[in-house]
Amino acid sequence: MKKIFFGSATLCLVTVLAACGGEGDSSYSNTSKEGDGVSGTLDFYTSQPDADAQGLVDAFKKQNPDVEISIFRSGTEEVVSKIQAENQGGNIQADVLLVADSVTFENFKAEELLLSYQSPEAEFIDEAFVDPDGTYAGTKIMATGMIINTNEVTNMPDSWSILTDAATKGQAVMPSPLYSGAAAYNLGVITRQDGLGWDFYEALRANDIMITQGNGAVLESVATGEKNYGMIVDFLAARAKNDGSPVELIYPKEGVPVITEPVGILANTENEEASKAFVDFILSEEGQKLASEQGYTPIREGIDAPEGLKTLEEMTVLNADATELLETRNDDKAEFGKIFGE
Amino acid sequence: MTAKPPKAEERKKRDTSFSLFFQSKNLYKIIGLLVIFVFFLLPVLRLVWLSFVDDGSLTMQYYTEVLREPATWKTVKNTLIVVLGSTILALVLGILFSWIVAYVQLSGKRAMQLFIFLPFVIPSYITTLAWTQFFSASGPVTAMLSWLPGDLQAPNLYSIGGIILLLGISHYPLVYLFTVNVFRKIPRELEEAAATSGLSKQRAFWKVVLPLALPGIASGGLIAFLSNLDNFGIPAFLGTPANIRVLSTYIYEQVVGFGPSAFSRAAVLSVILGVIALIGTVVQWFLLRRSRVNETNRSDSTPRIYLSASKQKLLEVSLWVFLLVTSLMPLITMGALSLISAYGVPFKLENLSLRNYEYVFLTDSKPLTALSNSLQLGFFTMLVCLVIGTAVAYLRFKYPDWSTRTAELFMTIPYALPGTVFALCMIFMWLEPIPGWNPGIYGTVWILFIAYVTRFLVLQVRGSYTAFLQIDPTMEEAARTSGAAGWVKWRRILLPLLFPGIVSGALLVFLMALTELTVSSLLWSSGSETVGVVIFGYEQAGYSTYSTAFSTVLVLGILFGGGLFMLLGRIWDRKVLKTK
Repeated sequence: MKKIFFGSATLCLVTVLAACGGEGDSSYSNTSKEGDGVSGTLDFYTSQPDADAQGLVDAFKKQNPDVEISIFRSGTEEVVSKIQAENQGGNIQADVLLVADSVTFENFKAEELLLSYQSPEAEFIDEAFVDPDGTYAGTKIMATGMIINTNEVTNMPDSWSILTDAATKGQAVMPSPLYSGAAAYNLGVITRQDGLGWDFYEALRANDIMITQGNGAVLESVATGEKNYGMIVDFLAARAKNDGSPVELIYPKEGVPVITEPVGILANTENEEASKAFVDFILSEEGQKLASEQGYTPIREGIDAPEGLKTLEEMTVLNADATELLETRNDDKAEFGKIFGE
Repeated sequence: MTAKPPKAEERKKRDTSFSLFFQSKNLYKIIGLLVIFVFFLLPVLRLVWLSFVDDGSLTMQYYTEVLREPATWKTVKNTLIVVLGSTILALVLGILFSWIVAYVQLSGKRAMQLFIFLPFVIPSYITTLAWTQFFSASGPVTAMLSWLPGDLQAPNLYSIGGIILLLGISHYPLVYLFTVNVFRKIPRELEEAAATSGLSKQRAFWKVVLPLALPGIASGGLIAFLSNLDNFGIPAFLGTPANIRVLSTYIYEQVVGFGPSAFSRAAVLSVILGVIALIGTVVQWFLLRRSRVNETNRSDSTPRIYLSASKQKLLEVSLWVFLLVTSLMPLITMGALSLISAYGVPFKLENLSLRNYEYVFLTDSKPLTALSNSLQLGFFTMLVCLVIGTAVAYLRFKYPDWSTRTAELFMTIPYALPGTVFALCMIFMWLEPIPGWNPGIYGTVWILFIAYVTRFLVLQVRGSYTAFLQIDPTMEEAARTSGAAGWVKWRRILLPLLFPGIVSGALLVFLMALTELTVSSLLWSSGSETVGVVIFGYEQAGYSTYSTAFSTVLVLGILFGGGLFMLLGRIWDRKVLKTK
């Protein structure tokens, strides 16, 4: 096996370069629908899991076979710093951006890097999740709930207060807002709620909650029984449960912070037409059904959530103003760092 | 295309070293340094520039701001403790193992060598996961301690000590790789001479063997030091729960922050990190001053120390226990995870399947593409580094003046910076090398290639330089006076002597490029996925079982490749010995 690869490795790099240009395995033969005539190339930067981003692009290309889309996928933080670096370097390459949370988009909006586009499809989306200036719109609903290890815990809690209960001292885990944009968003939202606020975080600290790098690490920790309770983004917990991990997903009754994986178009896009068509597709009924099939709660009204997740109507959403969250983001992080003892 | 300029440059350089190096010596120096400056220093300078600029005007405010914060100094202090601690651990383990493998009569050495490499090629997220499970409340260590009398607690890995331990264990193979050939080349006659002059074994080790082995130890130590400095995975995983920050994680925190000052603050911290890296390089020069060159020897693999049968058994057993815990345990953890359907289900027969492997290698097309991309990138990176790195090492060895030293310093920096920061530097530099002109490198596989060569070249330079340091300069003169000049001299005399050291460097470059993660995660593009990018993607999507399946195959493949490589090494040794 190895030998075969080495054989191929001795082929000149030029072949790699050639392979870079096009994806050799896409056939355009069976396009049943008439596309709306957009063409050209698109650079799509996203933090969605690879398979989901690929599925989205493939579905779009079925309708618009003349568009070539190249995907760059990485963590939200990596995607954002890449765009910032491109901006410093003189020319942003991305056309369409889809990353975790609205505050990130508010940040780009403040720097005037986003194009304003009122998609007709956005009418079917709760206006709380759409930027009134049209620079971004949510594409799905991702709540942060609680994940519980069912081997260790028999009584399922229904409130965030279990995490601050002295009986669970040292048994809980949460992602660090210092590394994860989504966790920083949650921090901003929760600290602005009556009944939770900074007191909640101070109580978490007093209860010895473990801070870990990201949602993936929270899942590992709770599923393996290292800890029994965790704060986690809902679809990860639901999927692990479906795969057979001994975990349960809980939507606490006080409500849940929600990130919406918004999509936006970069102001200096070289292909405005195709970018707009792509955004329309993501927000359209078909695009939203696809999101549901991929295991996410859709954001558009009238489309069912997948097995194990709640729809928007079934959950209490904790909200906060995105522009305000942006202004206080760095202070919130610093305050968090203070509480958790730097 | 893009790699051409340095190649041509190297050729010029080498011509001068072959012909008599007098006429336009300084001109070549300047040209050489210029090329190195453009490729290695300019990208970093673009980042440094950000630390001085605020809204288009020069300012020192970021420095005053960052340097005034107590958090900065605490981070620097943590970094120094962690990096020095883990480097010392890596040095002790690396020297110990290489000395034993080089000198002591043991059976099963070749298998041992392969296991020594394992911690280095297993991705750090797997290493941390395996160790934390190993030491967790439900893990084997706690179980063993509970049988023992007294109230013993398993050590807490989420601590400075834990970070030092895992970094040291992950990086001691680097020290081993650089020193084992050096030990083998120390002539046994010297030790015998020391013994007859009445030196005890220990005194002889300190007085004779160690000074002669210094080139390898200093090189290996430096590379381990730099690797500990730029490692992000281990301190992030183990340091976050304990609120321990080191520079690499603190820089990442700044980079992902919002607002115009994010990059500038990260740049200031990167400058601090760069200064620490340079100090390390300079310390290494002082160490090398004390090293001695002896008459040239070919490496000699026959053992020099024979133990009694019982002692040998004891040593073998204790070495294997160490290797099993540090190398095999993470591998088994990884293998076990890759066979179960989900995290947390008990490891029973009914829960085991090859489903994850099926998905990774049959359903999903990306991993195989990524594997072939990474192999090709690794191979070509290795090739280019082999040529350029060895040429630079030769010049560094032959003309140890300010220019070659400066060149070496330039090359150290890209390797020492955390991957995220280095990738940002690459974007600043290659998106529009000259404002307004985009040569189309960025967004293709070429940017990865340039990034890898720039980042890993120093490994080859160190490897080759260590090999050169062990060659007596008179060898070259002897070759020349016997009428072997130019290429013949290299082919017949120098290369055979240098081969093991140079290959160690090349192997390291290849493995690093093959498993690289942080730089690739910012620079890859459609069609140029690398192994690291795919693993990172699975991890982030919560498909840890897939990423472990892929990693397991990768590590087993590397082991298999390593076996082949050692076989080739044996054949080479025989061939060279025959031609003698």
